[in-house]
Amino acid sequence: MGAIKGFNARLRALLFPRAAERALNDEIQFHLEQEIDKNVRLGMSEVEARRQALVQFGGLTQTREAHHEVYAARPLEELAADTRYTLRTMRRTPVLAGAAILTLALGVGANTAIFSAVNAVVLRPLPFPNSSQLYMLWEENPEKGWYKQVAAPANMLDWKEQVAAFADVMAYSDAFGTSTLIENGEPTIVRPAFGTGNFFSVLGARAALGRTFTDAETWRTGQSIAVLSHHLWRDRFSSDRAIIGRTIQLDGQAVQVVGVMPASFDYPHENTDLWQPWAWDPRNRERVSFRRAHWLNVVARVKPGITPEAANAQLQAVVKRLQRDYPATNRVMGAGMTPLHEFLVGDTRLPLLVLLGAVGLLLLIACANVGNLMLVKAADREREAALRLALGAGRSRLVRQAFTESLVLSLIGGVAGVSLGWWGTRALQAMQPAGMLRVSHFDFDWAVLGYVLAITTISGLLFGIAPALWSSRRSPQDALKEGGRSGSQTRRMRRWGERLVIGEVALALMLSVGAGLLVRSLIRLQHVDPGFDPNGVIVARVELPGARYDTGEKANVFFNRLEEQLRGLPGIEGVGSVSDLPLRNTGYSSDFTVAGWPAGTYGSEVVHRRVTPAFFQTIRTPLVSGRALTAADAANSVPVVLINEALAKKHFKGENPIGKRIVFDKEPDSTSVWRTIIGVVKDQHQTKLSIEPVIEVFEPLAQSATNGMSVLARTAGDPAALGPAIRRTVAELDRSLALSSVETLNQVRATSLARERFLTTLLLLFAGVGLALAVVGVYGVMAQMARRRVREMGIRLALGAQANDVRWLVVRNGLRLVVAGLVIGTLGALAATRAMQALLFGVASRDPLTFLAVPVVLVMTALVATWVPASHASRADPATALRAE
Amino acid sequence: MQNPSTDVLRGTLDLLILKTLTLEPMHGWGIGQRIEQMSRGVLDANQGSLYPAFQRLEQKGWIDSEWRTTENNRRAKYYRLTPAGRRAVGTEAASWRRYVEAVEFILQTT
Repeated sequence: MGAIKGFNARLRALLFPRAAERALNDEIQFHLEQEIDKNVRLGMSEVEARRQALVQFGGLTQTREAHHEVYAARPLEELAADTRYTLRTMRRTPVLAGAAILTLALGVGANTAIFSAVNAVVLRPLPFPNSSQLYMLWEENPEKGWYKQVAAPANMLDWKEQVAAFADVMAYSDAFGTSTLIENGEPTIVRPAFGTGNFFSVLGARAALGRTFTDAETWRTGQSIAVLSHHLWRDRFSSDRAIIGRTIQLDGQAVQVVGVMPASFDYPHENTDLWQPWAWDPRNRERVSFRRAHWLNVVARVKPGITPEAANAQLQAVVKRLQRDYPATNRVMGAGMTPLHEFLVGDTRLPLLVLLGAVGLLLLIACANVGNLMLVKAADREREAALRLALGAGRSRLVRQAFTESLVLSLIGGVAGVSLGWWGTRALQAMQPAGMLRVSHFDFDWAVLGYVLAITTISGLLFGIAPALWSSRRSPQDALKEGGRSGSQTRRMRRWGERLVIGEVALALMLSVGAGLLVRSLIRLQHVDPGFDPNGVIVARVELPGARYDTGEKANVFFNRLEEQLRGLPGIEGVGSVSDLPLRNTGYSSDFTVAGWPAGTYGSEVVHRRVTPAFFQTIRTPLVSGRALTAADAANSVPVVLINEALAKKHFKGENPIGKRIVFDKEPDSTSVWRTIIGVVKDQHQTKLSIEPVIEVFEPLAQSATNGMSVLARTAGDPAALGPAIRRTVAELDRSLALSSVETLNQVRATSLARERFLTTLLLLFAGVGLALAVVGVYGVMAQMARRRVREMGIRLALGAQANDVRWLVVRNGLRLVVAGLVIGTLGALAATRAMQALLFGVASRDPLTFLAVPVVLVMTALVATWVPASHASRADPATALRAE
Repeated sequence: MQNPSTDVLRGTLDLLILKTLTLEPMHGWGIGQRIEQMSRGVLDANQGSLYPAFQRLEQKGWIDSEWRTTENNRRAKYYRLTPAGRRAVGTEAASWRRYVEAVEFILQTT
């Protein structure tokens, strides 16, 4: 309380020095008048009374001075003075100040950009009310190796009804590809998400216009409805408020628009264009398929006040009961819950944290560099500081001044850094692989600004430490002697500089090793054989609306005709189609058993894809044995199937699978379709290059129809140039079809590596900047040393040393620092890169090659950095050098 | 004023001011007069040194001040003890007594 009052008085005195002075004058004036009155009353003459009063009071000026000293608001006044002083010196040495500010701005800017991503993706809660109550519910099956997998609808409904701890449970999926919206006769591809009727209410989201779904609309109501996303409403319906209640044409079906969501709602994905309720047939509930097929993302809202442990215990009780009641489907089916945010962030978290660590290192390097600059500057002003010490300035006063200087510098650097970071944030958004960062929630907020302020202040203190400690330890006698160039002073100052350089090199090594590991990992990935030849192939995704292509026959006819037409285009070498593109997604999976296997034995998780006969030839995946599909494998001929090598190896060890009959049921019955294996093809990587191919079968489209196919065309020329011709051909066959995407197979391959490339590029960029800063640091210290020892070099040369010897002397000194930094950095890197293991492919986090190669690169760069000052020193003219100083 | 007067030590002056203010809020001149009276003219504070002492005490939070009108309608700055100042009188007085005893002891023994 008192302290606050005291501070207020100081602040007033600082801000209104005149007012404080006037008050004091009034007070003294009053005092003197009282005294004079008293003296007059005691019988003195007016003149004598005044004289006596003044004598009694003592020196007026002293009082004012003393008063001022007490009141002087010293710390604040000093701060203001130091700040002014700093700004003045910065104007005097603009290059030095500019270099320091730029270095800091780089460090702070990189941190700002990465932290804003971490903040948006990892730290900020989901944009739903009470989002901590939301949990993702998932299923697991140890026998099939399922973990955190999508759930079966019947199980989901049982959880919803039987787990009392859940306020409500909803389910959604966006894995149903795309739909075609026809508006004013113009087709557009849209991405729908399907959900239960309570999809929006569980999340706590309201419509901006109209309404969301009702719980009853989970089931068939006879009326198809949809809720539009804000962007679809804006772009395709010109933000027409009369859209509510209107009917739109979706996949040839009439669908009534009941609502429009606000722009902020983008669950489950940013590019979700509209939402539709499942409209399940109520009879499904009793069908075994409703419990056998797993395809739902399930989100539960836990009742307020109930712990997740309690909720999970109730869930497990229901899961146990289901295992007992439905042994055919649920015998080993487990379930669990994960906070929704954690589940969604999942695999983005680690890369972001690694990047945050990298920019942290970068900032430290920047601090060390600026610390070095400050030291150089302090050394140049050594005499001034010594003089001040000798004249009685307190050491603490000098330390305080050193810190004020660094804080002022770091604040300016911080402001520049935020601007750079703002730009960097935009760049990150533009560069990021689709869907990695939640772009719409990606912005500066108080958390980002607070973080920037914190790192700016911390940097200022960090790089202020060296000059401050140094200035507090110097003795004025030494400093004044010989113009502040006494041996002990220089040595102490040099040691500080050297420590900083060692630190910088160590940090730069850690950064570079991290980047090196990622580069090695990316190269490994790029050399993985995808199982096909991606060069010269263009891919178009065609989704046929189910309303008009309502039989497999119609779809098959369409795709055959499309392939025929495309083959007629000039420059086409081959055309084939597949239901699911490799390196993009897998088809559905099932159990299977083979004729001749002991009863009750079966395999699990075989992936299904549909292909046209020319697919493997077009994509150049070789047939290993057996025969290829032909047009003769038609709907009415013997059901056939191709298998991949992984399946042949895993389940037909030493046997020839050709001619064996396979069925995709655990326990085949009279309705099961037996297919004859006619050939084995080489493995294709189904989802990612980093994931080993899984067992797979390929059914001919003619015998196993689907409405969505990716059509591939191979050409000797530039595949991308085929795009317009393909679009034209599709439009000629069906005017109301829109292609959801046309891209080259190489683009598909690149997209599958986008995350890895993104992370590697960024880390490489940060390591490059870090390395450059470290090299500048090495150069600075070596140049400084060479300059200070120019006289010594002159003597050496005069005494007959060769230029080479002198050069080597400087280089050796530089290398000593670099090697010390490398040793420390290697230890640090060994500890730090362990956290990256999960991001690496085919490379150990202690990869010897990286740990050898990166230091070599660093040493080479450092050599260049020391070479310049070294050759400078070796050219020292003995005569001039000896006369210097 | 012709009396031999004793210069008041700095710390002592603070204590005397605090003690004086335990009675009632007072303005600067009044405090000086009161100290002189109470010490029967022995302690003659250099009146000019009172004012820096007021600022010191104010910064410590032991006294605070406000401008008021005196009985003869003059504007004057009145000082009064804060609760912290009231507590300080006790501890400061105690340490002063210890100091006096110590000096007295030395004077007696040597």
